Amino acid sequence: MTQIAAEPFPAPEPHAPEFDAVPSTQVEGRSPWQLFWSRFRKDRVALAGLAFIALLVAIALAAPLIAELVGHGPNDRFQREMTDEFGLPKGPTGEFWFGADQVGRDVFVRIVYGARTSLAVALGATGAALSVGIVLGMMAGYRGGWVDTVVSRTVDIILSMPVLLFAIGIVAACSTTAEGCLGGLVKPGFRLVIFVIALFSWPYVARIVRGQTLSIREKEFIEASRSMGAGGRRIMFREVLPNLMAPIIVYGTLLIPTNILFEAALSYLGLGVPQTIPSWGRMIADGGALFDVAWWLMLFPGLFLLATTLAFNLVGDGLRDALDPRTQA
Amino acid sequence: MVRSRRSRGILAALAAVALLAAACGGDAEQPREAGEEGDLRGGTLRVQMESFVHECNFDPTCEFVSYANMIHTNLLQRPLMNYRHVADDPGLEILPDLAADMPEISEDGLTYTFTLKDGVMFAPPVDREVTSQDVAYAFQRMASQQQGNPYTYYFEGVIDGFELQKSPAEDVEISGIETPDDKTISITLSDPVPDILFRLAMPGTAPIPQEVAGCFPQSGEYGRFVISSGPYMLEGSEALDISTCDSMEPIAGYEPDRTLNLVRNPNYEPATDSPEMRSSNPDRFELSVNTNVDDIFNRIVAGETDTSPDDPPAQFLRQFAEDRERLPSNPVDVLWYIVMNLTQPPFDDIHVRKAVNLAIDKDGLLRAAGGELVGEIATHILPPTMGGLPSDEYDPYATEGFAGDVDLAMEEMAQSAYDTDGDGVCDAPECSGILHISRNEAPWTEFNPIIEDNLAAIGIELETREIEGGSAYELVSTTSENVPIGSHGGWGKDWPDASTFFEALFTSGAIQAGPGVNNNTGLVGITSEINEERELGIEGNLEGIPSIDAEFEECVAMELGQARLDCFNEVDRILMEEVLPYVPYRWDEETHLISDNITKWEFDQNAGEMSFAHIAVAS
Repeated sequence: MTQIAAEPFPAPEPHAPEFDAVPSTQVEGRSPWQLFWSRFRKDRVALAGLAFIALLVAIALAAPLIAELVGHGPNDRFQREMTDEFGLPKGPTGEFWFGADQVGRDVFVRIVYGARTSLAVALGATGAALSVGIVLGMMAGYRGGWVDTVVSRTVDIILSMPVLLFAIGIVAACSTTAEGCLGGLVKPGFRLVIFVIALFSWPYVARIVRGQTLSIREKEFIEASRSMGAGGRRIMFREVLPNLMAPIIVYGTLLIPTNILFEAALSYLGLGVPQTIPSWGRMIADGGALFDVAWWLMLFPGLFLLATTLAFNLVGDGLRDALDPRTQA
Repeated sequence: MVRSRRSRGILAALAAVALLAAACGGDAEQPREAGEEGDLRGGTLRVQMESFVHECNFDPTCEFVSYANMIHTNLLQRPLMNYRHVADDPGLEILPDLAADMPEISEDGLTYTFTLKDGVMFAPPVDREVTSQDVAYAFQRMASQQQGNPYTYYFEGVIDGFELQKSPAEDVEISGIETPDDKTISITLSDPVPDILFRLAMPGTAPIPQEVAGCFPQSGEYGRFVISSGPYMLEGSEALDISTCDSMEPIAGYEPDRTLNLVRNPNYEPATDSPEMRSSNPDRFELSVNTNVDDIFNRIVAGETDTSPDDPPAQFLRQFAEDRERLPSNPVDVLWYIVMNLTQPPFDDIHVRKAVNLAIDKDGLLRAAGGELVGEIATHILPPTMGGLPSDEYDPYATEGFAGDVDLAMEEMAQSAYDTDGDGVCDAPECSGILHISRNEAPWTEFNPIIEDNLAAIGIELETREIEGGSAYELVSTTSENVPIGSHGGWGKDWPDASTFFEALFTSGAIQAGPGVNNNTGLVGITSEINEERELGIEGNLEGIPSIDAEFEECVAMELGQARLDCFNEVDRILMEEVLPYVPYRWDEETHLISDNITKWEFDQNAGEMSFAHIAVAS
């Protein structure tokens, strides 16, 4: 699992109005977002990534429609038509664009639904990780003292755990009894997957947010706010947080492909979402045993996983370049 | 016994071309004539497998896995009785092995007296003749194990005075076993037990030398020091220093989870044995573990190894489908089934259970597992190879092409109280969120979409959980977990008698507390009294659960023969029509891929595995 590079990201300077030395007929101050967009738009590769992501989201949202157009649902089995007498599936045909799997399901439709799974889990888990990481990171950075110690040590501990081994352990332990762990709260399935991924993602966010908060905390406008009587919480959420948005957006975007791969890894190991929900990682695992006679089972989910991860990484890099005031436009 | 072999590293599909008729007729090869024997002797048989699957480290006193049992009964152990180790019915007949002849039975049918053969020797370094005390010692070991021991169940309450005791084996006393002299042993039963001879053919009952085994009382320890009384022995046995317990180092021939090498026992006297039971062709057996199943079969094709007990992956079967010489196939006495817990809603209603039986697409399940040659569709419990009725003679829930019939299923469901509006679809709250335990490997990963779909059509929403095979067995076999439905399970005979398909699976006496102990996972015959008495922790509907205890008792007391078989077939019918804890879906076929090096192939019908006793290799 890739670790997000912990390069220091300078806090953006609070924006001051621009002065034009030479008077001209058009004097327009550009907002930070307009600045950002003009820089981002020059990054062709990042735009390509963004386009792919948009396409993927569109496909994911339109999945039921696509299934209807193709005529096969993601779980419709066509065993007698698409598997031979040895139980081996048949490859791409006019009707089954990406071939069929071992029980005769349409691989193309499952890839489309798999996009939903990957996006939903990644966004859900990333969202949860961001929420927890931002709050705890800000508190640790702003308050310092024992809050900082507790949060930082927790972050250190979680970051030093062997992630996949723990994930295997948690899921295995919580599937040995009918009830699951914590009185039925933690059972194998969609929620557990998101929980495990979020559990191992929030420390990255928290550490970065804490670092940023530490430097912002010393700025004059914070001092000014404090001297006007603003309380800690107000300062954190009204003053510090808006200035964290840039790094949060970048790292959040870079966290998504990590989590997509994490979900795929969990599904590959059989610890992911239940099998009725198509998942690219699961499809790769199930196809592995037959790769030399049914190449399509691994190739297509693999390609989509690669392309999606690449797209998010490119967009994340582009965002970072566009939001970093130190690089030339 | 539970089928563990199929749970390890199994890849998707199996197939072979043999039809059941061909399999029944074709593979029962007789040992060759004396004149040809010279051609078959010699060479090394090399076997690779994904795992040895040893449950008790190869220790004959507690090891209960089919492949290890085959190795023991074919090559290393000589119990009082044994089998021919060939395919089909001739392989299920019981014959004297260590005993010189069939036993003398007393008037009251309770005492069996055996005379041992002369000249049966233990391998080096023990180097002495086997005596009746060595046989008695084997039973004492079975009664003295501190941990769970699968053999105790078969002798407690059967042999007089046989009770599990904490004392070491040498101090155990079993009043029903007497050894008046070195060559005579008499076994007295508490009640007549018609299948007692089968129990005396199990490898755990074979003679064990106390001077070695006495040093290793814990379950599994003796596995690295096994002293053979058969035609082969662990390689390096002669180097064992038996002067004291401390001087004994594990025999080099067996390295757990890595290698198991067997060579000829120099003390073996073929005149004390019969060629129909053991041909003893190869000079050497080399077994090794290779966790990459694809690699195993690539090596078989390349000739670098000879065969494997693992199921060949689909691509190899397709490659050799035309070459049946390389792809022999045998029906095995194994049933794969879906179990419904009679105490858990909605399966506490027989209409629901019947609807499920009608809804399941058995043909789809068979196809997903690999097609017609992984096995045949099961229509009831007792496999035809054990004397059960063939599927075309008895199919109580017949559907077109065995594909399941939603309409028939809905008709049945409409009669259930769980279908509140009688439209054929389960709609009570108990119909959804039902925990379904299955396995996380092929072919179960292909079964689950089929099963979920079939049951969703009649309104039963399953929450499938796929876990590792051993864990699945343990979870569903723990009564206090109250698992409503499981499709993880299979069952093979313990010996060639129909009773072994019913006792552990369907009698109330077999229901026990404790993790992973209970095999009557449908809880047939359970009552609230039993639940309290044995502290089973069952929470559910315990009223009016049907039982077959009385019918079973009647059948098990009968003499071996057609009447007994008819009796058990009737129990099967009652189970299928009035109790219905199962959806039986497959009777197994065991298919092997063999190399060019194998000049003679044989199958051990009793063990359900290849027959080391008769296989021959070129080099």
